[in-house]
Amino acid sequence: MRLKALTILWLLSDALLFAGAYVLAYFLRVGFLLSTDFPFNKYLLATVIVTPVWIIILMMNRAYHPLRNQRTAANAATMIFAALVATALFSLTYYFQYTKFFSRLLLVLAFVLSTLITWLWHILYQEVLRAWLRRDPPTYPTLIVGITRESRALIETLQRHRNPLKPVAILDGRGGAEKEIAGIPMLGRLHKLEETLEELHITHLIQGSDLEQSLNLLSACRQRGITYMLLPSVLGIVERDERVESLEGWPVTVVTPEQLMR
Amino acid sequence: MRAFILAGGFATRLWPLTEKRAKPLLPLAGKPLISYIVEGLPRSIPVTVSTNAIFAHGFTEWRATIDHESIDIVIEQSKRDDQKLGALGALAQWVDQSHINEDILLLTGDNYFGFDLQSFIEAARKDTALLAAHDIGDLDRARSFGTVLLNEDRQTIRAFQEKPRSPESTLVSTGCSLLPASLLPVLQEYATHHPDNVGGIFEELLKRGKTIDCFISDALWFDIGSFEAYLAATRALIGHRTIDEGDIRCDRTRCNGSVVLGKGSSVTNSTLTDTVLFDRCSVEDCVLTDCVIDADCVLKGIDLTGKMLRAGTRLTRK
Repeated sequence: MRLKALTILWLLSDALLFAGAYVLAYFLRVGFLLSTDFPFNKYLLATVIVTPVWIIILMMNRAYHPLRNQRTAANAATMIFAALVATALFSLTYYFQYTKFFSRLLLVLAFVLSTLITWLWHILYQEVLRAWLRRDPPTYPTLIVGITRESRALIETLQRHRNPLKPVAILDGRGGAEKEIAGIPMLGRLHKLEETLEELHITHLIQGSDLEQSLNLLSACRQRGITYMLLPSVLGIVERDERVESLEGWPVTVVTPEQLMR
Repeated sequence: MRAFILAGGFATRLWPLTEKRAKPLLPLAGKPLISYIVEGLPRSIPVTVSTNAIFAHGFTEWRATIDHESIDIVIEQSKRDDQKLGALGALAQWVDQSHINEDILLLTGDNYFGFDLQSFIEAARKDTALLAAHDIGDLDRARSFGTVLLNEDRQTIRAFQEKPRSPESTLVSTGCSLLPASLLPVLQEYATHHPDNVGGIFEELLKRGKTIDCFISDALWFDIGSFEAYLAATRALIGHRTIDEGDIRCDRTRCNGSVVLGKGSSVTNSTLTDTVLFDRCSVEDCVLTDCVIDADCVLKGIDLTGKMLRAGTRLTRK
């Protein structure tokens, strides 16, 4: 419920800002007096038509996914791509409606402003979203299975970045001497899995070790509708050069060692 | 004499098979491990099973299936490892609260004893502790167990070694022992400081100059502490055959080695090798090798080797 309301608010604010960026581009280029040669209402109508298309492009690229980090270069690329497509669509829309073209600089301005304004807003909104989603009780209480250097680093990163996936407990196949990691309690061995999933209302489980138990962890997740995630280090992949691809329709994890690519 | 079976562990190493049942209740070649122990005891000996609050229900249900005159379930009110009294602590508490003043036959519920328990009891001398040792026949294998060193008389125990790097003996101590009533005060005193060290009580007795007799057996014995031990015990007990526990549907399937098909299971177009299916499993178009599949699992179109699957797992290739 909390997530749905925040997402709707995000979409509405995005629509307003996108249209606002186009309006700002108009006034910066045409001037702050309304022009009769290039009527504002026609320009605004084309903007309103393009706005939902721009939002759909972002949605298709998972830009509104609550777990996505808006500060990354990959996300910036998505924002630029969506804005570029929207600018192209805007000029086409305007032409189809009024059979006229207009200032190319206006299009450049609209593209730059819509990219910058909406990306900055996404970064700001992400902070709001994460703060709300992590408030107790968290929207995504997450269980970490397995204490390794990788999983420890992941927990610390999730905490530091205030990721919506909020680690609430840790289990380990062999138990561990530590009582907590980055403030997250270590509850014991895997025999506590069922009660942990039940009592803490876990929505996500991240496996960081105990490869031999992956089938059983996956089974527990399937039975309870919990999202299962696997750190590649469980498979021995720690070089960050893995990717998931499709091989004739079969999903495969691919690791291409760097020296072979040269 | 009273028999006391230790069954209070949380059996974390055998997860997920022990997710909802205690280790002594694991079915081994068709019946719960603890049933082998109780059925081997003289019917006149009252049996007490010590367990924890999590698994108590399972033992209550099991008791209803056993034909024995007196089985008492003692429930330790612990739900976590750190709340446990400890095995020896639970025994001492029972001795104290039930005012036991008889010899105690102490048995660990996760052991399979192939030797005759009646003979073991008859071998006991008055006021002398007795411990059953299994001759594993191989010094290398003895490294993984607690070993027993004998005096020259080859009947009494000189010392114990816990998982020695270089074992001096192929005799490994089992979870079957007899404590005479006269030594119960030592037990209670020792348990106060070492509530979790069952084996330690025998070292303590040696330290105090008490004699401990050794009952040597080379009959089958298993400490079901791991997945590998469970499969080995299954293989040893049933040999190269398939056990069908009833109401099975088995069609176009090849079973190799030791295979157990749990009650109500259905296996179609599959190959099973050294595999145990618990009750109500459905297996179709699978190749399973060295697997233990807990109850109510549904497997379709998948090959598995060396896996333990938790109850209710569904793996069906689309």
